[in-house]
Amino acid sequence: MTRLILRRLLLMVPTLLLVSLLIFMLSEILPGDVARTILGQYATPEQVQALNTEMGADKPIVERYAAWLGHFVTGNWGTSPITDLKVAPQVVDALGNSLLLAGLALVVIIPLSILLGVLAGLRKDSLLDRGITISTLSLTVIPEFVSGVILLVIFAVTLKWLPVQALAPPGSSLPTRLYYLILPAIPLMFIELGYIARMARVGTVEVLARPYIRTAVLKGLPRRRVVFGHVLRNAMVPTVTVIGSQIGWLVGGLVVVETLFGYPGIGKLLVDAAKTHDVLVLEAGVLLVAVIYMLSNLTADVIVALLDPRARQRA
Amino acid sequence: MTDDQYRREYAHHLIEQVNKGRMTRRQLLVRASIFGFSATAAGSLLAACGGGSTASSPAAIASATPAPKAGGTLRISSPDSLIALDPVTMNDAGGPVQIQQVCEYLVWAENDQTLRPVLAESWRSDKTAEVWTFKLRQGVKFNDGSPFGADDVVATFDRLTDPKSGSSALSVLGGILSPGGTQKVDDATVAFNLDAPFADFPALVSSSNYNAVILPRNYSGEFLKTPVGTGPFTLTKHTAKQNSTFAKNPNYWQKGLPYFDGLVFKFAADDAAASLALQAGEVDMQCQTPFQGSQALFLDPKLNIAEVPSTGLREVFMRVDKGPLSDKRVRQAVAYCIDRPAIIQALFDGRATIGNDTVFSSLYPNSPKLPQRAQDYAKAKQLLTDAGHPDGLALHLTTMNFLEVPQYAQLIKAQCKPAGIKVNIDMIEYSAFFAGDPAPWLSVPMGITDWTFRPTPIQFVMAMLLTTSVWNSSHSSNAEYDKLAAQYAATVDEATRMPIATKMATIENDETPHMLSFFITQLSARVKNLYGVHGINIYLDLSKAYLA
Repeated sequence: MTRLILRRLLLMVPTLLLVSLLIFMLSEILPGDVARTILGQYATPEQVQALNTEMGADKPIVERYAAWLGHFVTGNWGTSPITDLKVAPQVVDALGNSLLLAGLALVVIIPLSILLGVLAGLRKDSLLDRGITISTLSLTVIPEFVSGVILLVIFAVTLKWLPVQALAPPGSSLPTRLYYLILPAIPLMFIELGYIARMARVGTVEVLARPYIRTAVLKGLPRRRVVFGHVLRNAMVPTVTVIGSQIGWLVGGLVVVETLFGYPGIGKLLVDAAKTHDVLVLEAGVLLVAVIYMLSNLTADVIVALLDPRARQRA
Repeated sequence: MTDDQYRREYAHHLIEQVNKGRMTRRQLLVRASIFGFSATAAGSLLAACGGGSTASSPAAIASATPAPKAGGTLRISSPDSLIALDPVTMNDAGGPVQIQQVCEYLVWAENDQTLRPVLAESWRSDKTAEVWTFKLRQGVKFNDGSPFGADDVVATFDRLTDPKSGSSALSVLGGILSPGGTQKVDDATVAFNLDAPFADFPALVSSSNYNAVILPRNYSGEFLKTPVGTGPFTLTKHTAKQNSTFAKNPNYWQKGLPYFDGLVFKFAADDAAASLALQAGEVDMQCQTPFQGSQALFLDPKLNIAEVPSTGLREVFMRVDKGPLSDKRVRQAVAYCIDRPAIIQALFDGRATIGNDTVFSSLYPNSPKLPQRAQDYAKAKQLLTDAGHPDGLALHLTTMNFLEVPQYAQLIKAQCKPAGIKVNIDMIEYSAFFAGDPAPWLSVPMGITDWTFRPTPIQFVMAMLLTTSVWNSSHSSNAEYDKLAAQYAATVDEATRMPIATKMATIENDETPHMLSFFITQLSARVKNLYGVHGINIYLDLSKAYLA
């Protein structure tokens, strides 16, 4: 088990290197350049050229990448030439905000979706199953910018129960910050709920059809023990993997929700950085999100291994 | 002739123009403000014209608004600056509105294009409009305690005109004022020695040249570390992409002002988010309200929509040097396909000023009157036949995904079709349209670009229509036009200037390097009990604003 974790952690290094190289190359293809962003659309080509030279932005890409990498691994993440802000605190703050929002959503999503999915699976084809499947799927297909606006109009503009902007005033306590995050967390719950519940339902249905469950029932085990001891444990394997793969999106991919609710998360930060050719912020942000993504997948795999002895042995 | 004699003569000249019906009373006010007459002086000029009283007397306006109330905090929804907040380099919508709370201009350009003295008390030009002398306000201090004087003005304009500064102000002052051209006469007087005569010069040092705030002579270059200015508020905290807070400047030179104790700018990344925050009462005003998608705000009984006709425009440029559009008859044919009133109705529900394919908008006080171009398919087809396209032709229109521009492109396509002109639209992202070398907006055969408003038409002319213009999307080059533009810029006398303007507009309209079918009306949604806001869009003076 320890070896599995160590090996996976080591594998992260070449992956991150590859990701960082890709980001560097992709930001080359994006239209425009740093100097054009700083000087504005009405600057003359000569002015743009001069600033690019001054900032070293016209050096060969290999040279710039090597220089950036050298600084980055030694902990010097630099200062953004665009916003004049230090990269590290900017990215770390945004990531913290995103983790808080994703955490709030997950705390609700995981138990609720598993409960609904397993219930539906146990009562396959019943009215309850149909009800759960149809309602969670309907919520899943509503895009977050639609559900977000509807929720805002109802709960913030009309009823005024919750704030429009998701960012609590500076220095707020954790409960206050969470209160501000209720509205933006709901569209995320809508999307994930149906998805994860469906996995849990399919897992349950599949496991229920296995011979060992029939054996357990036939040997007279109480239903409660069959469900908790055998069904749940085995049905959770695909569900946990899916949850692990969704965390990356919940942390780094919430551009729409962050924009709509004015929440300074890492998704919005990355989009702005890509728009303004802020490679330093883009690199640091993407790498942090990649780390979160890989760690959550690793955690999911470890949990799966704990649930399923065969997976442990394969590892 | 001394300056005073000259001013008396100019005043006399203005009165004569009005009495002979060559100029309206409003035009007199605008021209008088450019030439540095105080509001009282301009008022007495109007009185000297005789006849009826001015349209809306100050007293009439005052009775409708409640008495100013001091205190409270104003919450403003605005976009944040994408680049670091800095007065010298700012170039997007988020920067100026924040800087203008801390720093001030020599002159403020009001919504109606009149100029109001701020850090300058008065100004005058020599007879050729080549040397402009500005008297500075005395007793003004920067918020760090240092006194404001001529040295600060000289340092500010030398900095802005330095090509290394990276300031957008260069696009306004380039070719007119050079480094070293700004001269200290004494501590309270500055002379601008221009590279060439320029009759509208005060507009170029006004707020409309938004980088031109006066910074101290020893400005550090890092505004966020030392936010120094003479303005009504001081910057207390700026959190990028979240908000900015400002506190009242207790030592502000206008006694009793500002009324607000503080300001909060909340940055909205998205129009829908900004509009919801206004409806929920979380902010009091929006600097700029786009027409599209703001219907809920127009209907909200708690809100007022300030509407200000402006000279901002969408330039449908057509390259005069390449492809079928190099024949002016083809360009004219396109212009004759367009039903301007219908476009204004469709895009803005009627809230825009009709354009006549010339930058001399009817909103400018001295704009020439040409016959209004209207939709005429017979004429368009005839022009196409004459140009050798009896069966029509295909054109390629490249533009950006920005505000109403995509819908505008669709309307152009639909209205060109009956004349046999097939318009293919290539829609690209805003940043891609302006990026690269050559950037699409300066190289494609036909496109649509957004231009913000300018207080004088010559600023548009110099930026887009001269052979030497840097942003000449249509690649126009007309020696006669260039000569007329130079004459226009240097002409002080209104009577001489009008025929030059008419000749210029006639050439522009006939050559049709671009189609300007409307001028944008600026909108700003505000709570009903907010009064005293000056400016709109990226110009915001809140020194006299209050909630009552």
